[in-house]
Amino acid sequence: MKVSFYATLRAIVGSKTLEFPIQEGDRVLDLAQTIVDRFPALHEHVFDAQGGIARSVHIMLNGRNIRWLPEGAETVLTAEHSVDFFPPAAGG
Amino acid sequence: MKIKDFGKDIAHINLASGEIAKRPAPKEWVEKYVGGRGLGVRYVLEAGPEVEPFSPENVLVFMNGPLTGSEVSMSGRWACVTKSPLTGTVTDSHQGGWTGARLRWAGFDGLVFEDRAATPTYAFIEDGQIELRDASEVWGMGTHDTVAFFQDRYGKKNLSVCAIGQSGETRGRFAAWLNEDDRAFGRGGTGAIGGDKNLKAIVIRGKLQKSEDLDAAEWKQVRRDMLDHIRNEDNITSPKKGGLSVYGTNVLMNVTNSIGALGVRNSQKTSYGERAEKLSGEHVEQTILVNDPTCHACPVACKKEVEIKEGPYKGLRMESVEYEPAWALGANCDNDDIASVSKLIDQCNDLGMDPIELGNVFSMYMEATEQGWIGDGPKLEWGDHASMVALTEEIGRRSSPTGDLLAEGTQLGAEKLGHGEIAMAVKGQGVPAYDPRGLKGMGLGYATSNRGACHLRAYVAAAELGVVGIDADPLAWKGKGELVKVFQDLHAFGDSMDLCKFSAFAQGADDYAAQLAVVRGEGFSADDVMQAGERIYNLERHYNNRAGFGKGSDTLPRRFLEEASTEAGSAGHVSELSQMLEEYYAARGWDDAVVPEAKLAELQIP
Repeated sequence: MKVSFYATLRAIVGSKTLEFPIQEGDRVLDLAQTIVDRFPALHEHVFDAQGGIARSVHIMLNGRNIRWLPEGAETVLTAEHSVDFFPPAAGG
Repeated sequence: MKIKDFGKDIAHINLASGEIAKRPAPKEWVEKYVGGRGLGVRYVLEAGPEVEPFSPENVLVFMNGPLTGSEVSMSGRWACVTKSPLTGTVTDSHQGGWTGARLRWAGFDGLVFEDRAATPTYAFIEDGQIELRDASEVWGMGTHDTVAFFQDRYGKKNLSVCAIGQSGETRGRFAAWLNEDDRAFGRGGTGAIGGDKNLKAIVIRGKLQKSEDLDAAEWKQVRRDMLDHIRNEDNITSPKKGGLSVYGTNVLMNVTNSIGALGVRNSQKTSYGERAEKLSGEHVEQTILVNDPTCHACPVACKKEVEIKEGPYKGLRMESVEYEPAWALGANCDNDDIASVSKLIDQCNDLGMDPIELGNVFSMYMEATEQGWIGDGPKLEWGDHASMVALTEEIGRRSSPTGDLLAEGTQLGAEKLGHGEIAMAVKGQGVPAYDPRGLKGMGLGYATSNRGACHLRAYVAAAELGVVGIDADPLAWKGKGELVKVFQDLHAFGDSMDLCKFSAFAQGADDYAAQLAVVRGEGFSADDVMQAGERIYNLERHYNNRAGFGKGSDTLPRRFLEEASTEAGSAGHVSELSQMLEEYYAARGWDDAVVPEAKLAELQIP
């Protein structure tokens, strides 16, 4: 699955878009773990102390933040999903 | 410098007679309206909401906040307030850099320019004195040459120059003021009022002064708390770590693109797809960024100075590539060339124009071209940045029939073409870079802004993008009425303190209250902050009601209400403005867009 990274998260992984292996039935949470396994420096940005998705990361599936999806981080991924990882961003 | 004296030293400058008088602001005004935006609006109200913007009766007010010039972080801002020639509402704009601080150090809290000078004039301010001097040598210059001229005459040390360019001189309705750091009083056409008054520049020599009259321990704690908030690595303001510091406001380009809230081709679409990357903060940081300038007393350094090393704009070095102009002159016009966007922003800086409005003017004209509505006039195709650059000069100088037309702004320009419906504007001012179909609270904010379409009156994007403690679904309309009111009131207070808007990403009402309490030497609570903000917001709305903006005046362009987004996260969505307005007016206690007498009495307005 292709995942795009932005801003300070991109600086950590070193590339805009990377491919990660997923299996059928994998959830967003599983993908996040796969990403962090490859880039341990992302751990504090992606996971909170309880092992859930941190508030400070904004994971978009097809442009929709997972915190607004009914299943949230438990959402099962499909091949049609585009996935973006953003740090917090705001401005003027 | 005595912080507690804020409001004591307001200069009234009659540009016709040359009379200059220093008078304190009425104590009641300072207590109720704080400073900056609120106090400036109170002065503008005193001139009368019925005045014509381009008339000697309109006043042009420059006002510091109570902390401007102090050591408190993010305090380096001041306000320009007047009746706008673009919207006909009261408008206020805020400028960073060092100019407001230097005014304070030179002995003044605010300047009220009245009437109209007979010939080009500038104000020179130093050591508690103001002189009106002949500006004929600089009339006709852009702001960059004007700044250079005065730096050469007076020396650069401790000097600030705030000037209009050719756009202000020709009363371009979205003309701006720029200072020596290319920080702008950008929106609302305040530069045109300067031009109408033949006021070319304000030149200030003010040497850094420390605050001397505050309780040392309390003052130190306030400053330390503010700095700790800004530096907190969980905040986007964190120097060199947070997204705002590293990438500037243009960290947003890819965000709004992803969620379907980035308008393209005059908001016909809501995402720029893969092309947004070429305009983004990430791309700028990797390719053309050369420096991160900052403002007085600010460690965030969100400005982005760039240098173009190849192509037709090779050799250009400028600041700052911000999200709003990068959208307005970029994706909005289907232009993915960041070098040309940098050039266009630099032209706006020099000619003295609002780049957000310029972008909306262009996208309107491009759509008119697309539809075949231009007739015999020059056409402007989507993405034709070479023609945009050429036409910008004509707009800034009103030097051609098309330039003259487009200098009228998005709404008036579209109406003169016979198609007002393609103006993406509210109360005459072009929309900013957050599409109301993808960020619904922002759309309500545009509609109910007191200065026309504005993203800063209620920056609910902070909640809709989940970067502050409140989470608000960007695609939900319920709850946005109350949310927008809260943000509007908080920002009205912050703008009246004239702390940088980005302080709101690092602190809340309690912190603002503690800062003002130290200045006033008396208790001031978070509730007081919100009440003062509510009062200021209603004061502006009262002004606008008296200026002719009544029921039904809070609107959005039909496109956002009826043409559903087809892109990304917002596909299928429109703005449910009428439902949100119903909630909003209930939260405000208004009768539609009008403040009732009972609310004015409750808030002790004016």
